[in-house]
Amino acid sequence: MARQQGWFALILALAIAAAAVLASFPLQLGLDLKGGSQLTLQVMPAGAITSVKPEQLEAVKDVLDRRINGLGVAESTLQTVGDDQLVLQLPGEQDPSRAAKVLGTTALLEFRAQRPGTEQQMSGLLKLKRQAQAVLNQRRQRSQALAEGQSAPDTPAVDLPAQQLAESLQSLGVAVPAGSSEVDQLELLLAEVNRRVVDLYEPAELTGRDLTAAGRQQQQTGSGWDVTLTFNGEGGRKFAALTQSIAGSGRLLGIVLDGRSISEASVGPEFKPAGITGGSASITGNFSAEEARDLEVQLRGGSLPLPVKLIEVRTVGPSLGAENIRSSLVAALSGLALVAVFMVVVYRLPGLVSVVALSLYALFNLAIYALIPVTLSLPGIAGFILSIGMAVDANVLIFERVKEELRAGNTLIRSIDTGFSLAFSSILDGHVTGLISCAALFALGTGLVKGFAVTLAIGLLLSLFTALTCTRSILRLLTSYPALRRVTYFLPARQLPAGAA
Amino acid sequence: MTSTPLPTPRFRITRHRRLAWVGSGLACLLSLLGLVLCWINPEIGAPLRPGLDFTGGTQIQLERACPGPCSPVSADALQRRIARLTVPAEAGASAPSLNAAAVQVLDQGRSLVLRLPDLNPEQAAVVVAEVQAAAGPLQAAATSVNTIGPTLGDQLLKGSLISLLVSFAAIALYITVRYDRVFAGLALLCLGHDVLITCGVFAWLGLLAGIEVDSLFAVSLITVAGYSVTDTVVVFDRIREQKTVLRDLPLPDQVDVAVDATLTRSLYTSLTTLLPLVALIFFGGSTLFWFAVALTIGIAVGSWSSIGVAPTLLPLFARR
Repeated sequence: MARQQGWFALILALAIAAAAVLASFPLQLGLDLKGGSQLTLQVMPAGAITSVKPEQLEAVKDVLDRRINGLGVAESTLQTVGDDQLVLQLPGEQDPSRAAKVLGTTALLEFRAQRPGTEQQMSGLLKLKRQAQAVLNQRRQRSQALAEGQSAPDTPAVDLPAQQLAESLQSLGVAVPAGSSEVDQLELLLAEVNRRVVDLYEPAELTGRDLTAAGRQQQQTGSGWDVTLTFNGEGGRKFAALTQSIAGSGRLLGIVLDGRSISEASVGPEFKPAGITGGSASITGNFSAEEARDLEVQLRGGSLPLPVKLIEVRTVGPSLGAENIRSSLVAALSGLALVAVFMVVVYRLPGLVSVVALSLYALFNLAIYALIPVTLSLPGIAGFILSIGMAVDANVLIFERVKEELRAGNTLIRSIDTGFSLAFSSILDGHVTGLISCAALFALGTGLVKGFAVTLAIGLLLSLFTALTCTRSILRLLTSYPALRRVTYFLPARQLPAGAA
Repeated sequence: MTSTPLPTPRFRITRHRRLAWVGSGLACLLSLLGLVLCWINPEIGAPLRPGLDFTGGTQIQLERACPGPCSPVSADALQRRIARLTVPAEAGASAPSLNAAAVQVLDQGRSLVLRLPDLNPEQAAVVVAEVQAAAGPLQAAATSVNTIGPTLGDQLLKGSLISLLVSFAAIALYITVRYDRVFAGLALLCLGHDVLITCGVFAWLGLLAGIEVDSLFAVSLITVAGYSVTDTVVVFDRIREQKTVLRDLPLPDQVDVAVDATLTRSLYTSLTTLLPLVALIFFGGSTLFWFAVALTIGIAVGSWSSIGVAPTLLPLFARR
């Protein structure tokens, strides 16, 4: 009796602790429940590196972390998954496309001097580039203005006649797919021009590695933005040497980002003696405020040691998530209510006890989810519902055994004890096989499957505890009161052997 | 234990074993037929119709905001409109063609599901803007965009299969240690039976109703496997426990006694597990509907095989 009360006190204490945990640590919901975007990135081996090592994965993660923080996205998390993947979660209604753009680029910044003797080629290409860029910008502004329902901005029309465009494309050897629009053709042209411009540069002497800071500032004339750069000591010296080598020669300094020429600068003859010193420079690329910010973030974050590839994007609208959680909750609760009714009708007093024990079980489960913490996603909820099924099964096994013993004419107390000890081996086997599957799923499965395995494993371990401890000690405590020690509270009278009870 | 006289089971499963075998055998054959038909179907080319999770691609789900009943939308017209769209190309890659886009109109035109080739978020936004223009206004907060690269689907499939096989092997080892080799073999046979029939139903659903299997289906198969083993183990546990008491009875009679004794438990347990699942089917979110259906089928079949298949086969194999 005293021992039962001790157990009972322990269970009560645990229940209060679990409630306190749930009150102070909120449950973490997966993006499929609360809405948001999840981006999965694969780190690709490149060059001499044939397989991604943990240090390299960490290095990539560090760089991406800095970039995401720079974007100012609220509550985002970046985690490594497996050997070579990263998962970025953006909760709420946030557009994943900007994050995807900033994450995916390598951000390899190079400063390269123009090769001698290429001046004429370069000026031709740059003229074409400026022209195409201007037309493209205007087309984009117009279509954006139209999409927003405003009238087109009243800027002087720039134009690149269709014939000239076709000729330029042909002379550069660009194959144009049939039926592509003017904007598409302009984009193709720009890409090819950029590639050719980059070919006219010497190999890089100075890269983004020597960069210590990046910033942005609005241009004094015009509405564009500049990105400012600050180099470390060695970078400053290299930059001075580089600018000195081309100062006054008419050759250009190319700023190349990810193999794309983003800016071409001339260096005036006044820098001939020492080059541009002071260790800082700015990229004048006529960026929009947002572009400048993204570029600044990429540069400040540093270049990625290995390229990454976006392999999965999942976006769930917040209201869709809310709808999911609401309907799944209603379903789970109504199902469980039916189970509770069933247990009380079929098993009477012990059925009632098991309902209490199963409620405790659900409470403990949720408290553990909040404590570890386990992020609850749809498969996780499925694992939870299934583990409740297993917990109910343990109670059914025990009570069926108790009933059998009673039918065989045993006393109540003895039947309960025998029932528990006989049911134990099948309960144990069922739970152990379940846990074995969970271990295999967790070790070898992917994200979704893992979430399921974790909640099911927690549920199985807890159900061993509640079925064998909670149900038993509450039942024993109750049967220690003579008023409750009636066999008919356990079994309909007609099922009892004649002469018993 | 009490010294009761030898129990006489009310229900003798071994008397109906031929019927049980024929029933299960037919169900397995039908399932195999469904899987094979799926496989040779040029449109599917796999034993089950693989969903986005396994094929890779982009799926966009949109909810239209209409105050009253939604104006009708033609899936074909929308499909043609999207096929004409050109999306911005990614650096170093050509823009994906949207000719293969498939549009589904659900809930009396209230929601739209688009299946597209692999798109990046920017390209997906272009498609959403086009639909907005054609069938807007849309509820921005209810939009769901999923893009799965083909490598990921492959990984998912491999990961699920390997973890499933490893857990089967580990479970078989555990049962061999705790019970006997024959028991382990039968438990695995039952498990194969349950998984096969669940897959078979979805193969037929894929053939006849175009239902696709996703990664949640893989999770449900794993669950069915675990449940099936637990169910079978309970019956085997009873047979082993009674071995000493019922030593004089022939094995088929021992099996009858064990099945009869655990029958109530088996039925009640599947009933209590099925209750929340059926609730999920009727009230749960659309995301969990087919998951709940797969689990319901698997658990019902698993319950059957633990009563009708594993115990009745035991005398056949144990005799040797």
